[in-house]
Amino acid sequence: MHKVTYIEAITEALREEMERDDKLFMMGEDIGLYGGVFKATKGLQKQFGEMRVLDTPLSESLIAGASIGATLVGLKAVPEIQFADFITPAMDQIIQQAAKLRYRSGGSYRVPVVFRVCCGGGIGGGLYHSQSNEAWFVDQPGLKVVAPATPYDAKGLLKAAIRDNNPIIYFEHKKLYRSLKQDIPDDDYIVPIGKADRKLEGETLSIITYGLPVNYALEAAKELAKENIKVEVIDLRTLLPIDKDMILESVKKTGRALIVHEANKTGGVGGEIAAIIAEEAFDYLDAPVTRVAGPDVPAIPFSPPMEEFFMVSPKKIADAARKLAAY
Amino acid sequence: MLTIDTILDKEKLKDLYYHLVLTRTFDEETRKLFKQARFAGTYFSAVGQEATTVVPSFLLEKDDVVAPSHRELGANIGKGVPPKVIMAQIYARKTSPDKGKSHPCHYGYAPLNVITPASTVAGQIVLGTGAALGFRLLNKKNVVISFFGDGATSRGCFHEALNFAGVHKLPIVFLCQNNLWAESVPLKLQTALTDLSDRAKAYGFPGITIDGNDVMEVLKTSKEALDKARNGGGPTFIECKTYRWYGHSEIDPADYRPPEEVEYWKSRDPIPRFEQLLIEHKIITEEEKKAAYSKAKQDVDEAVAYAENSPFPQAEEALEDLYYEGE
Ligand SMILES: Cc1ncc(C[n+]2csc(CCOP(=O)(O)OP(=O)(O)O)c2C)c(N)n1
Repeated sequence: MHKVTYIEAITEALREEMERDDKLFMMGEDIGLYGGVFKATKGLQKQFGEMRVLDTPLSESLIAGASIGATLVGLKAVPEIQFADFITPAMDQIIQQAAKLRYRSGGSYRVPVVFRVCCGGGIGGGLYHSQSNEAWFVDQPGLKVVAPATPYDAKGLLKAAIRDNNPIIYFEHKKLYRSLKQDIPDDDYIVPIGKADRKLEGETLSIITYGLPVNYALEAAKELAKENIKVEVIDLRTLLPIDKDMILESVKKTGRALIVHEANKTGGVGGEIAAIIAEEAFDYLDAPVTRVAGPDVPAIPFSPPMEEFFMVSPKKIADAARKLAAY
Repeated sequence: MLTIDTILDKEKLKDLYYHLVLTRTFDEETRKLFKQARFAGTYFSAVGQEATTVVPSFLLEKDDVVAPSHRELGANIGKGVPPKVIMAQIYARKTSPDKGKSHPCHYGYAPLNVITPASTVAGQIVLGTGAALGFRLLNKKNVVISFFGDGATSRGCFHEALNFAGVHKLPIVFLCQNNLWAESVPLKLQTALTDLSDRAKAYGFPGITIDGNDVMEVLKTSKEALDKARNGGGPTFIECKTYRWYGHSEIDPADYRPPEEVEYWKSRDPIPRFEQLLIEHKIITEEEKKAAYSKAKQDVDEAVAYAENSPFPQAEEALEDLYYEGE
């Protein structure tokens, strides 16, 4: 075992997979000598050379599309989109090409690309360096979408994503990069895609969440335990395909569901989870399905009081959980 | 002395001629089939543009990549895709490469490295560039041709792809079929340039404008560009001035075009021009010419029979080919 931060876990995964598979390469803005704006690729260009860790022009459509194209002749790609906020120019390639190429070729092409995307607020990034736009991709079958919450999962999911031969969007939460340390195994391991994780067992209610708020839910759970509210925390880890079984199993046990995400409430992944519960576990519910999510504004505003107002927090989660438990 | 068979030997020239005749025959026959409502959707005829599509891809090797768009029947035939495969695609049958999932004219064929196109105009230019990057990373002596129309050159991703190909001197030929119209929009509303090849200067590699209805000119120019790309000389932008005889698709009467313009271009039909040259140089005889047309008709009839006798996919097959399931 050794202790790593979330970002160190990502770098380890990248390094080990690059060592393991010489067909793997990465491209992105500032990822070379500079090591990426958050240093996720630090040292990799030195180890693997300028072409396997390729600094690109400021050109997101190119980064996404060329990664896809390169896989069509036998490579595997892990491009970096520096900020989730700037993925819009690449969406054409991700949605129209990557998500649909296998389908539109009748299964004759495959697209092993992992788009590493840095998302999320809470670090004073303002409107355009804080977005949580995972929902843009979760309604795109053909893609897989993962969002790790811990260093252990960050490494294991990234490795699993790289070894999967499908296009995957891997959302890294930038507030987690350095705020969290965890012991992880020294040996190679993966965390399977499509499987949620019960991060905490409980009977009173289920908190279903992913990414940064998983950690907030665990914090809230400690407070709530003192009041004899025993929450179960389900970390989805993969948003597409979603682990319905674990969601339903948990809700059937507790009878209460609190869904938490940082992204805007309207059109968010939470709505989908609520619908799954309504369709398949209605009879088990003792209270309305509840959501704690970002307010419906375009993105997280800059000024600190407003940013704090926007962000999901342990307190917001605990408050909502108390209400739900008392219903 | 430079003779007609300096670029390709006589046998190859005959073979190329046959591919041109086959493309023309296939295209005209398919238009009839559409009018008889023998297949659904619409059809993008490329009659008149055979030289610019067939010739460059005829010069490719099996592992070389073609990144086509919607008007590239000839590029597929030139690459060697069997007519019955293409016809099955047009008929949306189970036997087509995409098993009926995409559009009749989105011909792709993984066994010969023809990338199945999407409808988003110009997206394929970026994929092609990625494939060329892939060849570079794999140290393979293969090349890519990306085909597109004049309309495609107005999109941002076109610029992003060419810019990147220039930076890395990638082994790719950008082949613009400038048929003077993008659906109903004339060239003068697409660009302030007269020659689109001028754009290449901005990307640091050569741009050439040629008569796209002159088989020998297309042959010579694309051969040079492909050889150069294969030998590490980087990309070339070839603008072929050419013309589609019919509407944007078969449901477009194309009455936005002056009849004199259509007549002018019909008088510059690439196929008789090439035929005459071959006859003059005693590469084919009149009898061989006739035989080529009747063989082409026979090949197309067989393709039609194959397609019409192929089953449709089962409705539930719409749910297949989303993800790669293997290791
Ligand atoms: C991004 C995008 N915008 C619009 C369309 C609709 N559309 C399809 S083909 C076409 C014209 C394309 O013109 P050009 O690139 O010159 O090719 P041509 O059809 O002449 O071969 C348009 C507008 C599309 N398919 N994709």
